[in-house]
Amino acid sequence: MSQTSIIAAEEDITEIADRILEQTYSAPVSIEINNVTVSFKTPGGTYTAIKDIDLTVKKGEIVSLIGHSGCGKSTLMGTISGMVKPTGGMVLANGKKVTSPGPDRGIVFQNYSLLPWLTVYKNIYVAVDSVIKNIPETEKIKLVETNLKMVNLWEHKDKLPGQLSGGMKQRVAIARAFSINPKILLLDEPFGALDALTKSAMHIELLKLWTLDHREKTIIMVTHDIEEAIFLSDKVVVMNNGPATTIKEIVDVPLKRPRNKKDIVYDPKYMEIHDRLSNLLIDKFSIDDEH
Amino acid sequence: MSVVYFLAGMVIMGGIWALIAKITKNEIPTPLATWAVFKEVMHHPFQNDADQKGIGTKLLSSLGRVSIGFGLGSLFAIPLGLIMGSSKIAMKIINPMVQILKPVSPLAWFPLGLAIFQDSPKASIFMIFICSLWPTLINAAFGASNIPQDHKNVSKAFGFSTWKYLTKILLPFSLPHIITGLRLSIGIAWMVIVAGEMLSGGIGLGNFVWEEGFNGGSVAKILVAIIIIGIVGSLLDRCFTWLQQKFSYAA
Repeated sequence: MSQTSIIAAEEDITEIADRILEQTYSAPVSIEINNVTVSFKTPGGTYTAIKDIDLTVKKGEIVSLIGHSGCGKSTLMGTISGMVKPTGGMVLANGKKVTSPGPDRGIVFQNYSLLPWLTVYKNIYVAVDSVIKNIPETEKIKLVETNLKMVNLWEHKDKLPGQLSGGMKQRVAIARAFSINPKILLLDEPFGALDALTKSAMHIELLKLWTLDHREKTIIMVTHDIEEAIFLSDKVVVMNNGPATTIKEIVDVPLKRPRNKKDIVYDPKYMEIHDRLSNLLIDKFSIDDEH
Repeated sequence: MSVVYFLAGMVIMGGIWALIAKITKNEIPTPLATWAVFKEVMHHPFQNDADQKGIGTKLLSSLGRVSIGFGLGSLFAIPLGLIMGSSKIAMKIINPMVQILKPVSPLAWFPLGLAIFQDSPKASIFMIFICSLWPTLINAAFGASNIPQDHKNVSKAFGFSTWKYLTKILLPFSLPHIITGLRLSIGIAWMVIVAGEMLSGGIGLGNFVWEEGFNGGSVAKILVAIIIIGIVGSLLDRCFTWLQQKFSYAA
């Protein structure tokens, strides 16, 4: 014990910083999107939603996909989850080619997607039971319990989704996604339907869960909220407008964690990133702006 | 309060009835005269001698046939409807048959049943079976084909097995629709049994209306039978309304 502390003390601060940097850069790749194009056949002809997308996400990173409505960010997300088949290119998740949804990728849908006839508890149990087959029932029950307690919903476990508020439903959906312990978590506009206050609380909640899990899960989130994207992410991927959407720019968010919701907005780096994203996404800031 | 409204409705109906009795110079018996006959009919309701059967025995016999026909029909219609609703191909194959057979009057099936089974009670059951199929089949198919994409996504995202999909998504979602179908079916079955028993003879309410009422020259007995058929039918409907409420859920 004392020996290690002496060694640590002797090490140069910059050396430690270098090592951390190196570790960051050598972190294993979690998701690799290679030249992905998605087109749909419509009565009016072929519609290309996204075109030639390349993106690499490292393990434990939180990446936001941001863009205007209908720009294809959900489609891009769908190619990672396996819900959408790319017409060109391919997606590798955890080193394997994505062909269908799988238990290594947990999904939280925009509209919660809880089964209305099952209680909160059973909604999660059914997912655990389906994904994790080789453990005894008692352990499955324990998994459900742990995850429901983590989102503070244990006392509501016997309620039906119809009896819950939007924020509570989304917490159930998040607990469900966490309970199957996926390496990658995909959030499709998870907080879009929530009011500003609930939304803010949910951001903290999500980061808490991610941190409790030693920041090992890779999280991809679709959003159209600039503040949300900066507060949560390591990288913000800005998409062009559709059709045939491409990536406009990838903005890094090198703000240190844990982040503080109140203080972060005064951080000059935050302001700079916010400014950059606003310029990329908004083309009219006042009624006098020419367009 | 609703009891008061119910009684008001009954009084109005009794008033119209009494008026008709007066206009027809008691050709149609008055409510009071009918009540007397009703009490007489209800004297030994479950009498079950070879030559004399009580009204209760006849009612149970009718209900028995309805339950067998309706039960068999539902057992057949629910899975078939769910398959139709789940598969576009099955829908395209089965739907034309349904569309052609559905409008056929249940009574037209009766002689066919008689030809097949050589037995009139069995032919009645066959007729009930056929006519209980359609509403249940169509509603089950409607339910299964309208499962929201959200629910299907859950099944995909968490890799549900076919069995899990069936029991946790398809059936629970379709259940309220199936019950609606069953409710419509039992209504039709109950209407058809009376007609069937008039054709087939044998023990039952239809036979009571025809033999003891019409052939026996007692209009009052016909009225008594109509009232009993109406009350039993509305009770059956109540049962399924109750089931409907029990299995509806808020999203």
